[in-house]
Amino acid sequence: PPSCWLFCSPLLPSPLTPALSPHRCHPPPSALSTPPSPGEGGEFRKQRPRGTQQGHHLQRNMAGAGGGNDIQWCFSQVKGAVDDDVAEADIISTVEFNHSGELLATGDKGGRVVIFQQEQENKIQSHSRGEYNVYSTFQSHEPEFDYLKSLEIEEKINKIRWLPQKNAAQFLLSTNDKTIKLWKISERDKRPEGYNLKEEDGRYRDPTTVTTLRVPVFRPMDLMVEASPRRIFANAHTYHINSISINSDYETYLSADDLRINLWHLEITDRSFNIVDIKPANMEELTEVITAAEFHPNSCNTFVYSSSKGTIRLCDMRASALCDRHSKLFEEPEDPSNRSFFSEIISSISDVKFSHSGRYMMTRDYLSVKIWDLNMENRPVETYQVHEYLRSKLCSLYENDCIFDKFECCWNGSDSVVMTGSYNNFFRMFDRNTKRDITLEASRENNKPRTVLKPRKVCASGKRKKDEISVDSLDFNKKILHTAWHPKENIIAVATTNNLYIFQDKV
Amino acid sequence: MEVQKEAQRIMTLSVWKMYHSRMQRGGLRLHRSLQLSLVMRSARELYLSAKVEAHEPEVPLPPVRSPDPRLHQSREAEAVAEAAPPDGEQPSPEPMDTREAPPAEETPARCAPRPAKVSRKRRNSSLSDGGDVGLVPSKKARLEEEGEGASAEVSDRLQPPPAQAEGAFPNLARVLQRRFSGLLNCSPAAPPTAPPACEAKPACRPADSMLNVLVRAVVAF
Repeated sequence: PPSCWLFCSPLLPSPLTPALSPHRCHPPPSALSTPPSPGEGGEFRKQRPRGTQQGHHLQRNMAGAGGGNDIQWCFSQVKGAVDDDVAEADIISTVEFNHSGELLATGDKGGRVVIFQQEQENKIQSHSRGEYNVYSTFQSHEPEFDYLKSLEIEEKINKIRWLPQKNAAQFLLSTNDKTIKLWKISERDKRPEGYNLKEEDGRYRDPTTVTTLRVPVFRPMDLMVEASPRRIFANAHTYHINSISINSDYETYLSADDLRINLWHLEITDRSFNIVDIKPANMEELTEVITAAEFHPNSCNTFVYSSSKGTIRLCDMRASALCDRHSKLFEEPEDPSNRSFFSEIISSISDVKFSHSGRYMMTRDYLSVKIWDLNMENRPVETYQVHEYLRSKLCSLYENDCIFDKFECCWNGSDSVVMTGSYNNFFRMFDRNTKRDITLEASRENNKPRTVLKPRKVCASGKRKKDEISVDSLDFNKKILHTAWHPKENIIAVATTNNLYIFQDKV
Repeated sequence: MEVQKEAQRIMTLSVWKMYHSRMQRGGLRLHRSLQLSLVMRSARELYLSAKVEAHEPEVPLPPVRSPDPRLHQSREAEAVAEAAPPDGEQPSPEPMDTREAPPAEETPARCAPRPAKVSRKRRNSSLSDGGDVGLVPSKKARLEEEGEGASAEVSDRLQPPPAQAEGAFPNLARVLQRRFSGLLNCSPAAPPTAPPACEAKPACRPADSMLNVLVRAVVAF
């Protein structure tokens, strides 16, 4: 029934929000939120009225991939259109679990945000975890035009970050290239009925027909989830925003573009502080740009930013107002045997993520994932090769632009396993304890629920064994750039170009 | 030859990509432009070093990073440099002119990566292990051209300038033109071997026309 995934409030926007363009009530449907055709994997179920919001998930064993208790990953659900013809607006551009893992948000190139909610576990069927179903869909950003520069500003959602929950409503930050928005997602499950002057459908009654008076009362209604923009943080970035990160004080956050990082207060939209500026006086001397930035999970004064040269700088905001001078510089000397024509550009870091503990950080460059100990700057403590077989194909990957792909990476809840995507809809997991790794594929072929995923293997050269795939038959159009791991359980969300896969461990 | 062709191909491809990226939605991306220009510069250096090797098989020493005094004379901006970065504050690129490139003066912070770049001059040894077919000067090619000799001095003269055009967006066209005029005008200083200029000329011409096309493409861009 449409009411369970309605996305806009019929009420006027709150006077707290600055003047906004009218919030559209019915954005074009994202393919992620439309029910799959019958016979497809993943059922779309009606949203049931929910009870309390308390966490209702059992703490599962956080064994890693190939850990002591070998995890077996099973298909759970897939969201999105089946067609091979992908509408550009449906391309998923970001995936993020909230702090409890109950909500899963995706952003797409069309500027839409789709939020999925995990169903409460059925006590009878305690062996299966709740499924994720559409909870809310809204148009977060619209395309804009900068008349001064004659530039179109894309509505593509670059990043979504959740705020920790403080009351009944949920809050998230979403950003495109230029503007960050704070969205409030709230539920409405009762409505007032019994007005004297209005009919139930809203039409005004003829006052002469009113003969008695009654007091309106609240009656339960089908759950409606509303998303409203509460803050718009605009006009602070000359270049394209690549990251946002919420501080552990839950009051401030940073936004980073190619050359600058700004610090915001969540309540204040008309100003922000610039805390990093690497723009050279002479743009022709530009050699390096900022590629990602993140606040430390526990120290509210510490953040890191990565660069296109493969370095990471850790900054302490207590040191000075402008953190151009780093406190620590993490850089690994280049291996001369690996030097090649494209070395410089494949060393660019596409993502940086702190571990939940705050002791480590992980970086992703084109071919590898590196884990750094914050106490050691001169080299990473662990390096994992994601797809080393591509090193000899860099020229072709430059031709087809794949060499510029920005892969993300993520930690599991216990920081024992890290995950990142690759091509051919493969994604990789590395267990830091056992040093074992696994390659899995996100494909509709394995879409029976609880089907265990078969490990895949790419044959780099030489004789191809049975079930192996040769490098030349990899599909470079099928890339997994965005993955997310549930903060507490072994549930992962993997985004292919326009589909969202949810896998979980075999229970 | 293969190396040169490959380098040319990559240069052309990079220029095309840079041009194409201006048309995409959202405008020029600074990071992408930077990466394209890095590849273009690598291709140019590879092309030039391959060209030099074709006539001078002895591996030239990597040049000391001494700025060419010519470059320090003026600080005017370059058209290509302006065209490439999507600097929001400079809306449209000026037409290319013949002004000098600004000096590649590095702030201390940026000096650190320099040694790594200088060592890139040792392209011959480090790249030979790489897998990039066609980009690596093969030992076979070098041996074939062993006979033609040219002075190491000449090669030294040729090598330093590419090193100076640092910064992400050197005036590619202008530098290419200058390099080629240098190549054609060089005279055999010390060695008794046949002047490389004479031998270089016939070999240069076909490549020249290709590079002129590239130059024109960059200018148009």
